[in-house]
Amino acid sequence: MFLQTVVTGLSIGGIYALMAVGYSLVFSVLSFSNFAHGAVIMLGAYIGLGLVTKLHFGLGLVVSGAMAGAGLIAIVNEKLAYSLLRKRKAPSLYLMISAMGCAVFLENMVYATIGSRFYAFPEFFKQSVLCLFNGTCNIALLDLFAFGISILAILGLHLFLIHTRTGIAIRAGVSDMTMCSLMGVNLDRLISIVFFLAGIFGGAAGVFLGIKYLVYPTMGWVTNKAYIAAVIGGLGSLPGALLGGLILGVLETFVSTYVSSVMRDVFSFGLLIALLVWRPNGLFGRDTGEKV
Amino acid sequence: MRRMLSFVLVLVFCLALGGAALAADTIKIGHTVSLTGGASMWGQSEKLALDLLIKKINAQGGVLGKKLELISYDNRNDAVEAVNVARRLVNDGVVAVIGPAQSGNSIATAPVLENAKIPMVVTTATNPYVTIDKRTGKVRPFAFRPCFIDPFQGTVAAKFAYRDLKARTAAILYDVGSDYGQWLAKYFEEAFTKEGGKVVAKEAFRSEELDYRAQLGKMRPLNPDVIFIPTSQKEAAMAAKQARDLGIKARLMGTDNWGSPDLIELGGEAINGGYFVNLTDLADPAIKNFVAEYRKAYGADPVLPNPVMAQDALLMIVDAIKRAKSTDGTKIAAALATTKNLQVTSGPLTIDPKTHDPLDKPAVIQKVDVATKSFPFVKKFYPGGK
Repeated sequence: MFLQTVVTGLSIGGIYALMAVGYSLVFSVLSFSNFAHGAVIMLGAYIGLGLVTKLHFGLGLVVSGAMAGAGLIAIVNEKLAYSLLRKRKAPSLYLMISAMGCAVFLENMVYATIGSRFYAFPEFFKQSVLCLFNGTCNIALLDLFAFGISILAILGLHLFLIHTRTGIAIRAGVSDMTMCSLMGVNLDRLISIVFFLAGIFGGAAGVFLGIKYLVYPTMGWVTNKAYIAAVIGGLGSLPGALLGGLILGVLETFVSTYVSSVMRDVFSFGLLIALLVWRPNGLFGRDTGEKV
Repeated sequence: MRRMLSFVLVLVFCLALGGAALAADTIKIGHTVSLTGGASMWGQSEKLALDLLIKKINAQGGVLGKKLELISYDNRNDAVEAVNVARRLVNDGVVAVIGPAQSGNSIATAPVLENAKIPMVVTTATNPYVTIDKRTGKVRPFAFRPCFIDPFQGTVAAKFAYRDLKARTAAILYDVGSDYGQWLAKYFEEAFTKEGGKVVAKEAFRSEELDYRAQLGKMRPLNPDVIFIPTSQKEAAMAAKQARDLGIKARLMGTDNWGSPDLIELGGEAINGGYFVNLTDLADPAIKNFVAEYRKAYGADPVLPNPVMAQDALLMIVDAIKRAKSTDGTKIAAALATTKNLQVTSGPLTIDPKTHDPLDKPAVIQKVDVATKSFPFVKKFYPGGK
């Protein structure tokens, strides 16, 4: 039972991490919590669902299509809802409120256009379960796949930020936006790229969530857990998002299994509060900037 | 210009008067239903079935010489919204209310309508405390229902599991945030233990949660014969998939909230072979005419059981108004309590004046068959072990 708990916890944590990356990326550059990210994830899931049910794409194309679509949605979201506020130098609190508005708006738009019913993805891996240790520990192939993709994608993003010109520009923006723009970096383009990257991760997370669970308009609210993961790891830090996601996933599963499933969220949020008291910037957070 | 204006004002006034006079010529029946949200599939179908029946009654001359008028408001399957809807219906001057369909929403709605002295007939709210006030233990004078109640439903599920499926051990997975699930889990456990079986695990999750693998993982080493999941189709489908992912082979059992056509689409192979308790069955000879009428009017099957239960509720109200010879709420409620051998859509109906629940309402067991995408009828249970 112990092994199974670890495996289940890691597979839940992998998806938390994938979602947490989107929060961390945006926070690192703009210092606000983009609560519309959950809605982008939800739209990513719907795009993936459309690709598979209407156009009968395979899993690879579905994931990449949803990633591209969610990335574009994230850019449009930034251009319409945040860029004007940003140019007027509005405090980050206003950006956050605007983000909450976007989340509710997008959700209700889906209610009004697509409807409130639930959808399920077709089964890509038909009932394929990997049995380990004489069947004491089972893992679905999909979970393994999602976990692998999550880790690879986060690693890829890390390399991108370290080795490419755009990556260096983003990291420069993280430490000082004004200075960065004085050096000739096009800030609008830079921020669009950051939102695109966050959206890409949201799209992938959306498809995995949709396959694992169901697709429906309010599915984006699951991301409040991912947000906690990002805060635990330190908002704005990539390794932090990964570690925070895995810690939260494993902790939740252990509490559900060995303490009580009803107490689960008491522990997750308790951990959050304790951690913020002990290390206000999370495990890997920078010392500057305020948490929202 | 001024004369023109006053003319228009007079005209508007006349129209308003005329409108009010016309409105007084109808009997308004309120309908609180989830037209959006997770239960909208049933809600939409419920409204269509009521529209159909109202048209039929009006074509036959209405009730007490007046036409019926249905006022449906969306309660979004939310208890707070259900209270708002009830207040709106009271302001609109309805004489009786049909719905809500869910126990939690019904328990929230009951006091509002009781204060306004307007009777409510819920459609599929099966929790005992919909018609009984939990604090006083007395029957709520203005709350009625045409459907069976959860102690019976839980007992039927337990008896079927023990006697027909020969299950000796059971596990329960339920939603701790729902009145419906919490009480059904309790009734099932009591009945299954009484039959001689053993409930080896009872695990809860919170509403809106998506992952039950921690809870299911705890059940797996205990190897139960059946897992009882008293939730709606969404949670049941996810739990079934996750149970199969963990390699759990136990048979799955559910309750009337499973009976939505999209259960099979959402659960896929994983839910195949599960059993659940329901209020009505598409193949039930009693509702043959209704199903045919509904198909003819809307070109689709009704999403059972709500449309049938809503029609039963409307027929109960119409009968009560006729016997009371009045549209006064208190008189209608008194007549509803003495409903006896009334022919409603699902069959004959008698209300127990002590509990406001129906007497002798049977339950059916249906099987989930993925290959034919249907819920074939398995067995019928009558109260009192018949």
